[in-house]
Amino acid sequence: MTVTNENPSGAGQDDAARFTSPFDIEAPAGAEGWESLYPYYALLSEDRRARDDGKFWFFDGMHNPEPLYPFDTIMTENWWVAVSQMSTRVWPVPPALGIDHRIINGYLYVSPNAVTDPEEIARRAEVFGVRAGHYYGNWDEIYDKWEVKAKDCIERLKAIDFAPLPDMEPESSVFEHTGTYSSYRLLTSYGDLIHNLFEMGSYHFEMLNLGYGAYLTFREFCQQAFPGITDQTVASMVSGIDILLFRPDDEVRKLAKLAVELDLAEVITSHEDPHAALAAIGAHASGEQWLAAFEQAKEPWFWFSTGAGYTHSDRAWIDDLRLPFTAMRGYIEALTRGEDIRRPLDAILAERTRVTGEYRSYLPSDEDREAFDGLVEIARKVFPFVENHNFYVEHWHHSLFWSKVRQLGEVFVAHNFFDDHEDIFFLHRNEVYSALYDLIIGWATGTEARGVTYWRPEIARRRAIRETLSTWSPPPALGVPPEEITEPLTVMLWGITPESVQEWLGVGADGEGSGVLRGVAASPGKVTGRARVITDPEQIHEVEQGDILICRITAPSWAPVFSKLGAAVSDVGGIMAHTAIVSREYGLPAVVGTGFATITIKTGQLVEVDGNQGTVRILEEAEK
Amino acid sequence: MTSPHVLWIDDPAAPGSRLLGGKFGSLAEMTEAGFAVPPGFGITTTAYRHFLEAAGLADRARQVREQAATADLATVSALSAGFTAEIEAAPLPADLEEAVRGAYAELERRTGIEALPVAVRSSGESEDLAGASFAGQYDTYLWVRGADEVLTYLRKCWAGMFGTAVLTYRPDGGASVVTADHGICVGVQQMVDARSAGVMFTLDPVTGDRSKVVIEGCWGLGEGVVKGDITPTRYVVDKVTFEVVTRALSRQEVQYRFDPSTKAVGMVPVHPDRCDAPCLEDEHIDQLAQLAKRIERHRGAPQDIEWAISEAGDVHVLQVRPETVWSQRRPEAPILEKKSAVDHVLMRFSGGKLATKAGS
Repeated sequence: MTVTNENPSGAGQDDAARFTSPFDIEAPAGAEGWESLYPYYALLSEDRRARDDGKFWFFDGMHNPEPLYPFDTIMTENWWVAVSQMSTRVWPVPPALGIDHRIINGYLYVSPNAVTDPEEIARRAEVFGVRAGHYYGNWDEIYDKWEVKAKDCIERLKAIDFAPLPDMEPESSVFEHTGTYSSYRLLTSYGDLIHNLFEMGSYHFEMLNLGYGAYLTFREFCQQAFPGITDQTVASMVSGIDILLFRPDDEVRKLAKLAVELDLAEVITSHEDPHAALAAIGAHASGEQWLAAFEQAKEPWFWFSTGAGYTHSDRAWIDDLRLPFTAMRGYIEALTRGEDIRRPLDAILAERTRVTGEYRSYLPSDEDREAFDGLVEIARKVFPFVENHNFYVEHWHHSLFWSKVRQLGEVFVAHNFFDDHEDIFFLHRNEVYSALYDLIIGWATGTEARGVTYWRPEIARRRAIRETLSTWSPPPALGVPPEEITEPLTVMLWGITPESVQEWLGVGADGEGSGVLRGVAASPGKVTGRARVITDPEQIHEVEQGDILICRITAPSWAPVFSKLGAAVSDVGGIMAHTAIVSREYGLPAVVGTGFATITIKTGQLVEVDGNQGTVRILEEAEK
Repeated sequence: MTSPHVLWIDDPAAPGSRLLGGKFGSLAEMTEAGFAVPPGFGITTTAYRHFLEAAGLADRARQVREQAATADLATVSALSAGFTAEIEAAPLPADLEEAVRGAYAELERRTGIEALPVAVRSSGESEDLAGASFAGQYDTYLWVRGADEVLTYLRKCWAGMFGTAVLTYRPDGGASVVTADHGICVGVQQMVDARSAGVMFTLDPVTGDRSKVVIEGCWGLGEGVVKGDITPTRYVVDKVTFEVVTRALSRQEVQYRFDPSTKAVGMVPVHPDRCDAPCLEDEHIDQLAQLAKRIERHRGAPQDIEWAISEAGDVHVLQVRPETVWSQRRPEAPILEKKSAVDHVLMRFSGGKLATKAGS
């Protein structure tokens, strides 16, 4: 089996309809040598120019808005295989192979591979029917088992522990005749950590493509029967009301309520700093009961990333309590005003029932209604997995994973390799294995390890390069756009459609300065406000009441600041992207997949977001 | 005030009464259901038949219709011209004239406006026939003031039953619609001095999609939209979520309104501030769509509705008719082939489409 979508004619025939060649992208001044941060196989190379130049590459700002830290490529490399193997080898998806990756100036570009030979598609379709049919036919049971596997994987991750090597091997190793020592355990624990990530990374995509496919089919039916129906309306017919992504926020609401009941409201609202608040609660008469509830809520619900969860810089609530405490103060204030802060679950469910029933009643025939019923049913069946996997994988597992990597970073600090545990992220995971072996050699021989003098200057060099790369704006697409986009993930998650490609081509050519950006209408409503451009998750705390959030992509855990926002706009993402889901839940207008919002819009500009039409308009410049 | 010749649309006996014809019968029903219909009365089908009998024209009417059913266009035109002139010249029975004058005076009293401007329009018995809306074939006279004028236009409406267009209206290719002895009611209703007005359908008239309300509106009276000489602004609204799916705005420089200089309805300039502005506020779009949905629900089938919004911002229902095209036809099915949901999904993964249109 080979990739069959090479596009030899694309480059020469129609230069107007292609994006910049990936080979024509130059390193920004000061970032020369950036390639040394990444593995050889992730880079463009002259040897593969013929193929790579004719392909369509789009920027994956969805999961990786910033230049990749070398260690963080573990996530992108995971799905490079884990997503791809499902389509190419496991199901196989008849017209789609995997999604290829290249790192360009530190940013991840991806390219879906398609199968175009009709005979090959037919051959694959036969196998696919049996295998995918088995999953759809036993979905709930398989999903139940999936949850067991995911939780077990997380339990084993929790058990992994890194400690500096002891000055003297403990007695137990000797008197219990273990035969292997702390050095071996350190090395194997690291192996366990990496394999644990790849294990969860594989579960991540076990059911995801099939889930998206079922949903897309339902969506297509709705678009056919009810032309112009919005994506958010289609999603609202199948979206769950008790999905895990809302649970952390629900826990915060409960804690707010408990605080009011225990007369702790003022203690919490009067402290901006969460740790000061916790200390004050501890000193309060009824503080103990609240703290017990707080500890219970944290595990696992505060393993909730402040980003997409894919990068180590997306800190979880558990190690940055500012977000949940900001939200809690808001809820406490609402409660003291006498408002009901519970999510209106019955009303949401009743609305879902009404909307679904009404569309059904407008179908032309009983046969169509039968098809609609079947497709709603299958879409609703797959949706709990589609919506909940995020919590298990990106939030709970990955946040825990990053905390374990930091613990390993401390080992390097203890052995004088690094100044800070965060430095570990400047090493690729395979370099960490080497550095660990270097460390062990030093410990074993009593010689100073090479790493003690090697890594500090190397990390400083890499840090400077990465900082330079982060000032570069990656174009949304490179290479030759495809005629058709069939890969379901490409459409659903990245919001990439033939229309968005055309839009990007247009903007690239002459659209600058028109002041209007187009994207996917992800959540309805129209709002005007001041733009707040956020390119680093840390900046999220700068958001003020009524701001229009302009970002590359949001994360569900930003939810607490969503209550301050007027609207949300993202560069990337489709209707099932985090920004879209959370905006709908919060009733905020949202436009996603605009391609250029963070580049085009500046903080302080007055912008109008039309979540019905999918447009963002710059109305006036920032006030001085 | 009610006599067999006059029936008020808010009379308990009015809703569904054959005496009011299709259009006015529907409006009586809407009035009863609490929709904002301008007040008025119908000069009944009984009154029409009474007039023809009293004037000795009943037999002639039957003959004209029968001859027209098989004649060529030139012959029909001549027949029409001759007979309509006879109707307009024929005397009105005194009891009938008195009833009409009395009802108009009562309408003046009810509205508190002397020489109240009214709309006078035909409401045919045949309008409810499936597939035969007689759209645009029946007459409407606007801004009619005073009982004398009402009587004049009443006769014109009656005569209109024998206009060339009506006598040759054969949507099904046959002549059965024309030869049948259908009566006519003439409705008299307070004019709404519309700021903007138009029509709306409780389905998408182009695709037959029943999940939409399509609103076409313009500045001024809705005549321009109905006649088609003003390009309306078009809104497509989702009937379930009330989101505005499409807005096709149209610049408008002239409008139909009462022109004080000619004392009649005619084309007058649109105020420059309004030319490029949408003729409906978002709030009105929402109100109209909600109204359309309620009317459709009340009537149990797709409808086509004429509406007007006064300068004060009140929404009025001027006319309600069953939709006649898609009640006969099926929209394109959203699926090509009947199969299980899983098979649809599998096919979609294989690059297939649910239907020919989707995604193309």
